[in-house]
Amino acid sequence: MIWAIIGGMTLILFFNRYLFLEPRLPIRLNRGVKEFLGFAVPGMLTAICGPIIFVKDHQLDLSPANPYLLAGLCAIGLMLWSRNVLLSVALSVGLFYLFRWWL
Amino acid sequence: MSDSLARTAFVRGTVACLPLTLACAPWGLLAGSTAIDAQLTPAQSQGLSLFVFAGAAQLVAIGMIKGGASAISILITTLLLTSQHLLYAMHLRPLVSPLEPRWRLGLGFLLTDEFFALVSPFDQRTFNRWYALGVGLCMYVGWNIFTLLGVLLGKSIPGLDQLGLEFSIAATFIALITPVVRNIPTVVCVAVSLLAVVLFSHWQWESAIVLAGLAGMVAGYLCKRLGGYWA
Repeated sequence: MIWAIIGGMTLILFFNRYLFLEPRLPIRLNRGVKEFLGFAVPGMLTAICGPIIFVKDHQLDLSPANPYLLAGLCAIGLMLWSRNVLLSVALSVGLFYLFRWWL
Repeated sequence: MSDSLARTAFVRGTVACLPLTLACAPWGLLAGSTAIDAQLTPAQSQGLSLFVFAGAAQLVAIGMIKGGASAISILITTLLLTSQHLLYAMHLRPLVSPLEPRWRLGLGFLLTDEFFALVSPFDQRTFNRWYALGVGLCMYVGWNIFTLLGVLLGKSIPGLDQLGLEFSIAATFIALITPVVRNIPTVVCVAVSLLAVVLFSHWQWESAIVLAGLAGMVAGYLCKRLGGYWA
């Protein structure tokens, strides 16, 4: 049974990943679709970050003392200032643990 | 392309993906240890990472198996939870679909959130298949090593999910989003996406992430189109 679930999940994941990479699939990407997909990076990545920052143990945490929120804002600031992904990530992770210990 | 150029691009991709791979270590460890905890055999636990290779879906499926959910409900949840890959593939279609089948199938299998984040900034001119392969394989090998460690350590890592290690994922994505936000439609897209995901996950929708992401994309697109009419 477990192997059947693993097999099913494998097929579903591969279907989701591969479907639109198949050239014989007759879809044309017109300008509108391309413009729409241009929002995929900010839209999807933001949606992945949201729950990490605002949801703790199935509860919303909107308080300003939420270390995830504070360190996330610092990451934006650091990125605007330094334009360096690695530096911003490293410093904001450090700040995250500082805030968590402090607050 | 010559072998040495291919090798350089492959190494560049691997190095670019290393921080993200390391950031996924806690989930890999969890995916392995929680699978053992849910009474899966070591082969099944590792099999999830080897064949399915999708962190969130694996952890949710393991939780559902432990909770006694039916196979069909686990598969439907997987379909909804991982539907963002359809969008990623559509976005990467101009880059990947012209490649020969083995590259298409291989890169398709390796397509993850992190792969998309690192590969999507390229266009047809600057895209390098070896770079993409380096990114994808780095994640795949890393993920499976961490899963194996999790399987071996089993339940002996207490409170790993309480360490807050997932912030490194959020920090990485924030650093990738920030430079992209340069105009009003993108600001609208990010704001709507954030608001929607907080709301949807508060309502505990299984497909909160993909629906919120779509909402943000639609909002950004409409804003851009409307702006075009006014301009």
